[in-house]
Amino acid sequence: MNLIVFKSVHKIFRQRGVFFLGKRGTETRALRGISLTVSAGEVLGLLGPNGSGKSTTLKLISTMLLPDRGEVLVQGLDTCRQGQEVRRSVGFAVASERSFFPRLTVRENLEFFAALENVPRREVSERVGSALSWVSLNDVAGKQVMKLSSGMYQGLGIARALIKKPAILLLDEPTRSLDAAAADELWSLVRNLAVTGTTVLLATHNFEEATAVCDRVALLKQGELIAIERARDFTSEELRDFYLEMTGDGVAEKFRIGVPA
Amino acid sequence: MIIEKIIAVLKKDALTAVRYRNGFALSSLAQIAQLATFYYLARAVGPQFRPEGMPYFLFLLIGTGFYTFLLSGTHGFLKTIQESQQTGTLEVLLATATPAAGLVSLGAVSAFADGMLQFAVYVGAGIFLFAPVLHVSAAACLLVIGFSILSAFAIGLFAAGMQISMHKGSAVLWVLGSSAWLMSGTLFPVAALPKPVQMVSYFIPFTHSLTAMRLAVLGGSFAAVVREVEILAIFAVFLVPAGIMFFSWMVRQARQNGTLSFY
Repeated sequence: MNLIVFKSVHKIFRQRGVFFLGKRGTETRALRGISLTVSAGEVLGLLGPNGSGKSTTLKLISTMLLPDRGEVLVQGLDTCRQGQEVRRSVGFAVASERSFFPRLTVRENLEFFAALENVPRREVSERVGSALSWVSLNDVAGKQVMKLSSGMYQGLGIARALIKKPAILLLDEPTRSLDAAAADELWSLVRNLAVTGTTVLLATHNFEEATAVCDRVALLKQGELIAIERARDFTSEELRDFYLEMTGDGVAEKFRIGVPA
Repeated sequence: MIIEKIIAVLKKDALTAVRYRNGFALSSLAQIAQLATFYYLARAVGPQFRPEGMPYFLFLLIGTGFYTFLLSGTHGFLKTIQESQQTGTLEVLLATATPAAGLVSLGAVSAFADGMLQFAVYVGAGIFLFAPVLHVSAAACLLVIGFSILSAFAIGLFAAGMQISMHKGSAVLWVLGSSAWLMSGTLFPVAALPKPVQMVSYFIPFTHSLTAMRLAVLGGSFAAVVREVEILAIFAVFLVPAGIMFFSWMVRQARQNGTLSFY
């Protein structure tokens, strides 16, 4: 069953001009007609350089953004018309330290978001505990968030997204501030979540991460879906080629067959 | 579920306020200073000035206390958005299962609670000094508070919507708040204003809220309170759906334009 469907999705960011300064408005085409599907329980990697549209894709699924053209369906629900229903099943792990309440403790932050996510009160404590266990943050549960390290923020962002037991988990560069051991831990967390039936979309520009963790990998470049293929079909040689040919289409052509029409 | 959310918001705001101890202490001091100002202002004006048949100090206490309650509640909506934009929590909050209008309303709960506490201190001071004059009708007070909150809720949603769209909702609210402060009978009776301005003041919900609250606290006729409450109800019927629609539309536009996280 396709849990997420993108049908020719376009997203354009417009910057208004300033008439008096003679400054013209600008347009950035973040996504250019992307079509893809993601199955239940699948881990899909969104791989591409900065500005390729990875985060925009995640934000469209989370309804933080709405498409300009095309359709995004999550569990058969249209994100434009049924955003509220979509949000109930999507957890977006935002790790920025600015996205937490700094004076509250880790536990207090999670309890607050649990209430907003309609978690029944009798389950809050247990859910917070297990979310913290998933990301190994039990030891700092009573610490004020402003005293955490950047790596801990990553974990806390994921814990917050897991509180509502989402059917879909969105991870935006989750290993950015993590050391190798912590990154390994996070990868096993993602695999374990997939085993329990959670669909995971992971945006990254780390090829190793994408191929090690994901079932399939979608290559994005300047808002276009260049290729989408099973992770095991990406050999390290080909990935290296992709790096080298990022500005060309040589390697991508090999995978174009995997891109939905 | 809504009660659990209200408790969660109150807990978050209370914990944050307590952990910013200095701010908490300073705002308490400011309140005492304001009470003293009103007292000496009323003394300077003299006992012969009895607007709407009550001592001027009492007039000021109820007018300012209730106006502050309504304005701080209204500002609570805007502040929720403004702070979330500044701290970067807005996108995350709007990605939760709680609807956007519900989120800002929850954010305003603390502001209303804080304003209510302040109003209670003012009324307490009034009771302490003017006990024989006061005939507080709790039922009438609750009625007035309820319908006044509805109007403040709608205005708050408009302000929050402006904040999302142009990021300068506080400037708009400041202009509106100052105008309402002048025209709604906070510091002096509306009758002191020129006729055309009095007409305008009639279309400000806060004017009716203050009149009704003074009647409720001074033991005015229940029918007179109900008359003002009816006007507030009419405001609510039009303003509440309009406020919800406006705010929801602005959030949708921000999602469309990708400006939710802008500030």
